Amino acid sequence: MKRKLSDSGLENDPPAASTPKRQRTTNGARKGHAPIASGDATYELPPSQQGQSTPKKANGVAATPLKESGLKTPTHKSKARNLFATPAKPKAATAGTPARLKKADQSAKKKSARVLLEQNEDTAWDGSQQLAEEILQDEQAEAVASDAPVESVEDAEKNPNAKDKDAKPAKRRAGRPKGARNKRSPTPEGELPPHERYFFQNRAGTIKTSNTTLNKVTLLTHEEYFDKMAQHTDPCKDEKDYLLSLHHRSFPQWAFEFEEGFNICLFGYGSKRKLVQHFADWVYQRSTSKTSPPIVIVNGYTPGVSIRSIFATIATALLGEDVPSKLGAQPTEVLEFLQSVLKSRPADEDPVTVLINSVDAPPLRRAANQALLARLAATPRIRLLLTADTPNFTVMWDISLRDQLNLVFHDCTTFTPFAVESDVVEEVNALLGRKGQRAGGKDGVGFVLKSLPENARNLYRLLLTEVITIMEDGHQSDDEGGADSKPSDEHGVEFRLLYQKATEEFIASSEMMFRTLLKEFHDHQMITSRMDPSGMEILGVPLSRDEMEGVLEDLVLG
Amino acid sequence: MDAEAFEDALDLSRDKSQNQGVYIYQPPKPGKASGERPSKRRKVSSTANPEHDTKVPSFMPLLNGAESADCVQQRYDTYKQLWAEQEHKIQEILEDVDSGVLSDVLSFVRETSPQTCNGCIPTALITVGSNVSSLSRLLSRLNDQLMSTNEGGVIVLESGDAPNLKTSLKNIIRAAVTNTEGNDGFQRFLTDRSGPRMLGYDLDLLYDYVQRRGTKKLVLALRDSEAFDPALLTDLLSLFKSWLDRIPFTVMLGISTSVELFEGRLPRSCVSLLQGKHFEVQEAGNSVDRIFEALQTDPAGKLWVGRNVTSTLFEKARDSFQTPEAFSRMVKYSYMSHFFANPLSTLLGSAHSSILSQNPFSEVIRNLPSFRMLCEDLVESGSTEEVRKMLDEDEYLLQTAIANLEAGQDAMRHLFRAVLLIHKCLRHTQTSKKMSVSDLSVRALSGDLGESPIVEDMLASVKAMDSEQLLEVLEVLQNTLSDDSPLAEIQNDLKSLMEEHPDSRPFHSEYNINNSVVTTTVVHQRVKLTKGKANLRAQDVEYNKIIDRLAGAFIEYFSETLIRPTDLFMNEAFLFDLRNPLKEVFTPRPRFAIERALATPFDYLISSSPDAETRISSRQPPASILYQLYLESGALVNVHDLWQAFYAVFESDQSDKCDDREIMALFYGALSDMKTFGMIKNSRKKTDHLAKSTWIGL
Repeated sequence: MKRKLSDSGLENDPPAASTPKRQRTTNGARKGHAPIASGDATYELPPSQQGQSTPKKANGVAATPLKESGLKTPTHKSKARNLFATPAKPKAATAGTPARLKKADQSAKKKSARVLLEQNEDTAWDGSQQLAEEILQDEQAEAVASDAPVESVEDAEKNPNAKDKDAKPAKRRAGRPKGARNKRSPTPEGELPPHERYFFQNRAGTIKTSNTTLNKVTLLTHEEYFDKMAQHTDPCKDEKDYLLSLHHRSFPQWAFEFEEGFNICLFGYGSKRKLVQHFADWVYQRSTSKTSPPIVIVNGYTPGVSIRSIFATIATALLGEDVPSKLGAQPTEVLEFLQSVLKSRPADEDPVTVLINSVDAPPLRRAANQALLARLAATPRIRLLLTADTPNFTVMWDISLRDQLNLVFHDCTTFTPFAVESDVVEEVNALLGRKGQRAGGKDGVGFVLKSLPENARNLYRLLLTEVITIMEDGHQSDDEGGADSKPSDEHGVEFRLLYQKATEEFIASSEMMFRTLLKEFHDHQMITSRMDPSGMEILGVPLSRDEMEGVLEDLVLG
Repeated sequence: MDAEAFEDALDLSRDKSQNQGVYIYQPPKPGKASGERPSKRRKVSSTANPEHDTKVPSFMPLLNGAESADCVQQRYDTYKQLWAEQEHKIQEILEDVDSGVLSDVLSFVRETSPQTCNGCIPTALITVGSNVSSLSRLLSRLNDQLMSTNEGGVIVLESGDAPNLKTSLKNIIRAAVTNTEGNDGFQRFLTDRSGPRMLGYDLDLLYDYVQRRGTKKLVLALRDSEAFDPALLTDLLSLFKSWLDRIPFTVMLGISTSVELFEGRLPRSCVSLLQGKHFEVQEAGNSVDRIFEALQTDPAGKLWVGRNVTSTLFEKARDSFQTPEAFSRMVKYSYMSHFFANPLSTLLGSAHSSILSQNPFSEVIRNLPSFRMLCEDLVESGSTEEVRKMLDEDEYLLQTAIANLEAGQDAMRHLFRAVLLIHKCLRHTQTSKKMSVSDLSVRALSGDLGESPIVEDMLASVKAMDSEQLLEVLEVLQNTLSDDSPLAEIQNDLKSLMEEHPDSRPFHSEYNINNSVVTTTVVHQRVKLTKGKANLRAQDVEYNKIIDRLAGAFIEYFSETLIRPTDLFMNEAFLFDLRNPLKEVFTPRPRFAIERALATPFDYLISSSPDAETRISSRQPPASILYQLYLESGALVNVHDLWQAFYAVFESDQSDKCDDREIMALFYGALSDMKTFGMIKNSRKKTDHLAKSTWIGL
């Protein structure tokens, strides 16, 4: 929460991005005492005292606020209670009398003492101890600031106004009713069990988060991302290497499991591609037969990968040049061919090792694919090693698939970044609702358009015109401040409407032709399509408005 | 050759390979391979016996590599031999379990025809319940039977093979032909024919094939009938119906729910095409129990799984409807773990003295917990010289250990024999609650079966039996126990007693409450209840003596046999009781693993630096930092704030030398990871906000 609050000062001037730090350093220089994390701290100060250390601040630990932010959050809860409201107990919120608060504090102190005395494993990690320590530390300060509660209630009420002077007034008011932040702290009191935490965080009512947006932050492009990642040196490299070497030590075990007819599934955080590669090397080195052992590696994350191609490659690995030219188009046909080949081979021949990276990646995730893979796994003399990256991959397999797959699982957490597996920039853009900010952008679209026939260009021009018109209409209808930040594919033109206009302008004579043209746009990611709630197909353009206008200009002029 | 150029070429090719969907593994490169070759050659030359190289590749020398190659080999061979025996038993049980249904189904297939079914398609409905693997076993054996008599074959169709009518027909025809002719035969079958070439889904092809082969029965088995599209199934069946006069179809439907439910999903018109019979496959639980019993109570057993493993096994089998195969695979895995990682497992084989002397077994044994326990006991009982001798003399220790190992194995065999005995007794005495062998075994393995109420109840009810019942029980028990037990004597006495008094049978036990009489006497106006014995006949008294002897014998026997296996010296060698490899390997917790890795990365990354605390710091992997921030946030997260918080972590740690774009790249990476894991998604509620979708620990 406090991090979010700290942004109130940041959102209007980018250099102020270091505000919290500056504040901290001055504090640190002054007394070596940490303020409460910047946001809350400033709120608690009366305006006159800003920049000086308050009695309240004189306690605490000598540490930077943001660094330890995570675990210290509860502290603010305890302070918030000092202020005036206990979120969990409504009666405390109405009666913020010092006496009652004192009682609450005493109880908290008692509790904390107990926590410190009876430490057990469960609570050791979750920060309750730290909270307890801090509450007890507050005690000394309390003596000095015994009148703090009453005062700070007033402070808190004054404070928003004080703050409003330098922040945008309208936004601040609209964003958060005063005092509400104390009620809506996302970190619940103490330590809740996971389900309680879930309900706590999902309770009804408006959710209070700051209104800052990423508009001022320039997002990374692919090039910049890769540049920066190349510059980055990993602080945990040694540890990761050691972890990998630990996994290497289980290679003989895996080989034994293979030998006994089990298939292997590796899971855990981090890319396991390198590990699999090493395992392939190891299996190859270890093989004593004259011919090289057939090993097939599959990268499940590559968009083009198909089950049939996997089976066909295995067949090639087995037969080399003797693979019949026509294997059949259906994966089952290839699989059956493969099975009959394996059956006819001498029994002492090297088994085929199939290593599949990211078996839970979208291209392979489908149930039909998994069923076929399971049948492959059940084939004798096929050794299958799968790696899975997502936390819930086991739901892909029902009991009969699990039976066929015959898996043993190993936790192979590597911490290696998913560099190849996921298109990071694309993923993040999609996550931030800036999906389809096409890689090529305006230039790319222009380039593609140049190579398209006349009527395709006309159709795109029509589409752009329509979309831009709708965007303008949208602007007039609701002059909400955030409207321009809406992703552009929010605005779109209805399929039927566009088709109608296209026929009117003799761009497409039939729906068939119209769709063919759209298909071309789809292939080049120049168009987005979604269903609106009423089931109509809405076509949009994955470009920002400026870019759209630029393209339109080029189209009309060119 | 220029090694460097190769190096480059290698890296390039490997780089490419990461974007390739599927590829055949290529060894690193010729240049590097020549560098690696010596190691490969060395492996061959170092082990004098080349045979070892091919046979024992995967067993590693244990004891920090101090184990000799012979020893490793011995360990491996022992495993192979031991498991082969067990595997054989399992197979026998599975075949036996299936044989009933198989013969029923087979006779159904043979005897029915469209004529006997009023012109409908003969259909066998097989409900398998959770025992999914049994159907495929059944079908493959049915296929073997039909093939061997040249009657026809079984075509197995899965829902995945039947996306539409055309493809399913194609698959059916191909499967039917390749079943007998093989893949090449199918190609020939397609091409070597006169007249116009037929399409792959033309049932004429199948008709042609049936005529050529003279097939009498063509069984079409739908393994997972419920998963088929009902419309498709209807089309398929009506098509079969119309070809029924030419192709002798029999349909077999595997049903996991119930026949009624399945029938309800099909249209009436389709159901009316079918006529048949319902078969039921035994539930998996039975065969699992039988397998367990066969493996553990084998009188020649050498290795047993302990209490923890047993309870894990049954928990898994019951909770997740495991198939018997999966169950036996888990047992297999525990055997594998034992031999793979326990140097003492070598001793289970026929140990050669050379192997024993070469390897530091005595050291191993001295480190065993059970050895310490033994020593403590010995010291307490005053035989300190014995302990001293075992600590000093390797040879003596080994002999003692091996003697103890054998004695321990004997004790285990007796233990399970006692379990079987109790089980059999219970079957006679108890009617309501059935204790399975596995339940009893779990108790026996933890060492508390002897004192458990089960045994007490059993003894009480045995005592209360009359002579007829008792004789019956004794007959049954006699088969379980060896002849020299006191039971035989008791049985003989009982028999002779019964022969002496043939007319007054059955004798009654005084322990039976029905035979005791409550007498009510009024003494001094007070009611006095006396629970007296019914006046027993002389032969009954005699009988009661026998019963008392029997009870005494039982108690003695149980106290002798029902020991706690973990108290036995050398139990580490013949008892596998580690819960962990089994549980981790078969019931993974991937989500927990990922959450743990992210929340406390230094659990995995054993850090050399002292500042590896639980606090968020830039020393941690970026995804961990972001995840910990995410844990603190509410259900809705402002991305900008998240980014600022993330940035601040780095800023505060590296103050001057941090490049915010670089940090943003890390932020991107972390964000993308979280998205891949399904932890966050874009929220439509507010601009630039993310919705949280997982809660740690839930």
